[in-house]
Amino acid sequence: MIKLIIDNIPVEVPEGTTVLEAAQSVDIPIPHFCWHPALGKAGACRVCAVKMLDGPVKGVQMSCMLPAQDGMVVSTTDDEAMAMRKSVIEWLMINHPHDCPVCDEGGECQLQDFTIAGGHGIRRYDGKKRTYNNQYLGEFIEHEMNRCIQCYRCSRFYQEYAGGADFGAMGRAAIVYFGRQDDGPLQSPFSGNLVDICPTGVFTDKTARFRARYWDYDMAPSVCPHCSLGCNTVPMARYRELLKTTARRNDHVNGWFICDKGRFSNAGVNTPERPRQALVDGKPVSLDEALDALATLLGEFLELHGPDSLAIVGSTRMDLAGNIMAARLREMLGAGTLCLFNDTDRAELTGKAVSLLTTENSASQEDVRSADLVVLVGCDLLDEAPMMALAVRQAWRSGARVYAIAPHPALLPEGEGTQPPLSPGERVAEGRVRGPLPFKFEYIASLADVPLAETKRPVIICGTSRQGLEALKNIQSAFALPFTKGGSGGISSSIETANPPQSPFDKGGLQPEPKLAFILDGPNAFGCAELARQHHGVALSAALADGRIKGIISFEADLHHELPQGIAVLAAADWRPTGLVARAGVVLPTTAWVEQEGIYINNEGRAQRFKKVMNPGLPIKGLTPELHPPRVHGIDAPGGDVAPSARLIALLMQRLGEAVVDEPLSGPWKALKDLDATGAGVIINQREQA
Amino acid sequence: MIPTQLRQELEQRVAKAITPREAAVDVMKGLQRHYGWLTDEAVADAALLLGLSPLQVEELATFYEMIYRRPVGRVVVHVCDSISCWAMGGETLLRHLEQRLGIAAGATTADNAVTLLPCCCLGNCGNGPALMIGDRLFGPVSPEQAAAIIAGHRESR
Ligand code: SF4
Ligand code: SF4
Ligand code: FES
Repeated sequence: MIKLIIDNIPVEVPEGTTVLEAAQSVDIPIPHFCWHPALGKAGACRVCAVKMLDGPVKGVQMSCMLPAQDGMVVSTTDDEAMAMRKSVIEWLMINHPHDCPVCDEGGECQLQDFTIAGGHGIRRYDGKKRTYNNQYLGEFIEHEMNRCIQCYRCSRFYQEYAGGADFGAMGRAAIVYFGRQDDGPLQSPFSGNLVDICPTGVFTDKTARFRARYWDYDMAPSVCPHCSLGCNTVPMARYRELLKTTARRNDHVNGWFICDKGRFSNAGVNTPERPRQALVDGKPVSLDEALDALATLLGEFLELHGPDSLAIVGSTRMDLAGNIMAARLREMLGAGTLCLFNDTDRAELTGKAVSLLTTENSASQEDVRSADLVVLVGCDLLDEAPMMALAVRQAWRSGARVYAIAPHPALLPEGEGTQPPLSPGERVAEGRVRGPLPFKFEYIASLADVPLAETKRPVIICGTSRQGLEALKNIQSAFALPFTKGGSGGISSSIETANPPQSPFDKGGLQPEPKLAFILDGPNAFGCAELARQHHGVALSAALADGRIKGIISFEADLHHELPQGIAVLAAADWRPTGLVARAGVVLPTTAWVEQEGIYINNEGRAQRFKKVMNPGLPIKGLTPELHPPRVHGIDAPGGDVAPSARLIALLMQRLGEAVVDEPLSGPWKALKDLDATGAGVIINQREQA
Repeated sequence: MIPTQLRQELEQRVAKAITPREAAVDVMKGLQRHYGWLTDEAVADAALLLGLSPLQVEELATFYEMIYRRPVGRVVVHVCDSISCWAMGGETLLRHLEQRLGIAAGATTADNAVTLLPCCCLGNCGNGPALMIGDRLFGPVSPEQAAAIIAGHRESR
């Protein structure tokens, strides 16, 4: 550890820490533009000046470039350093437009903050400003080059961190241009991060420009629901409309960034097609009336067809509490089949994947970023889990070798195999075709060819596909990973086998045991697999095949195949306009994830809480004067008579005669009750062991 | 299309480099000799040869001031406008040449003979004010000497 003094405060930091980070560690902010924790230093902006009063280095220095050393005495408030920072800001502002009131970045702009903090308030330069033409960068990002202060964060992120090749820094000296060679949509699936990392307003989210200022937003820590990785986000809403999504730092998971799918898929929450009105046989009713009707209907149905005739369908996109309550509903009824997965394959594969993960061997995105060898097995990262591709790139940049086994057709070079089409909801950018993976890798025939012995931190990333399962079996025999879950009870996924198979890792630690990451299907697929195991869930396709199911009630479920006509959809609870909602006798509109609190368990088994961001209800934008302001008194906003699925199920259970309905996070899930939304999350088997 | 011989030469140059990027300047210069300036087509050629994207070639092309992304005259005169030459009268030199040639700095004469470009330090500070034509450095030069040097190049072309 290194000991130094900053503004009279003794600071201790690990070797390799910069003076700027050392100051941050004791909450002394130093202005910085080019330095970024994920991008490192560039020394380009000169705004982080401090004065070194004593120690190995003297005088005014750039704190982002200077590694902390023993005996340093640093002042951030020294006159000379302050004067330097003030001048630097003045020169950075020389070409900058003085029009914050009409800039969409205003209020969430580092340049504003540091200009004020640096003490530059009055403009002295009255010469001509350097100006640029802006480019069309696609439908998601607006370009305003005049606001640029040449910190190079954007081009460093885009090319170095994310591996994009169509955007960069052109020109030199007083004329540096950050853009594309020609107008056109940015090609990187991580392009939206430019909005977050540019310290000024050069890049703003085009989908929500000039809709609100920073202080107007409803914001809360949340989790991305668009794949199984559970990247941390801050959704921003106003007037019941989800406007933007930004990345939220979680060093174990997504680091500082998110993918474009996670950032630009906000429209579904606001769409007029969304079910917001409870219906019974197509007639609008209140949510309470709908639940009354469903309770009666359910009783009659079970009486008529018997207890085996009902399927209670949950979903991997529904939060944990909703799925727990679906399972409890089945228990209470003593009837019906619990279906949390659509088809048998998916259920089986997810169950197996989850059973293989332990606290020790489950790889987080951070484990992937710091791996020295990565093996890809039957997965299409850019389609199924984009941020995982970015994590692999970071490992590759630090020298990790990357191998692909049992290549997914989409991984094959162009022309070989067929590209599986992206589903329409995932095609986030017009004209954007999925590009190549942002790292180099080698095909390898089998896992036996992977030079694992020479590595220290290997990670295997596996898709939950048939190919993945096949390869898993090979992995199992190659590495003697236990393939079946031993033990039982609780939510433990730890593996206890009576006769542990001979593992090459047991003997003298010749090889490090590889960590595993699975790409699952849905933000709460892990949670559903665990629940399915606890409650003997059956995949819907298997339940239907059996022929006894006559009707279903579904909660936020998407069906891959059309439900046979003979099956009655007694009720569907959802916030998405699915086929099931269209067919349901009773429609129960639910909150979207941003309108409720909840928990998703991500692909590594990390339970993460998300908070309620906004109140549900029809977005005010788009409402005609007849509808807004509302003419009827009520406590809910128009379209706001909705509830989280877990709550709906609890209310239903009350109506069905349950005297006391336990809250979802009880029993084996009790320990998640106090999960902190801003923490790292909790690996569920870790919690069990603690 | 570039001639096969040039393509092969450039391919060999790239093959010799440890990373293709380090051959970028040589490739761009080779193509510039062929086209007269680095045309859009040449940027695309260079990108293919180097395994870079056209944007990445553009980044390099616009960084180096001896790579011309616009058409230039047969003789390109680089007049240093950095601090040492400025202290020795570089500014006056540039003004004089603008007058003599009847063009503003950055422009090309109507007969397409001479392009006049201010440039950053030529590393010839001891001999300021300095200018450069092709690979040849001149300095210190008076406005008259400079005019004579340019006239000489103009004729020899
Ligand atoms: S565009 Fe933004 S991020 Fe890029 S160099 Fe300019 S100020 Fe920095
Ligand atoms: S990688 Fe997945 S979880 Fe992360 S931001 Fe993208 S879609 Fe969301
Ligand atoms: S933050 Fe230190 S030079 Fe830019």
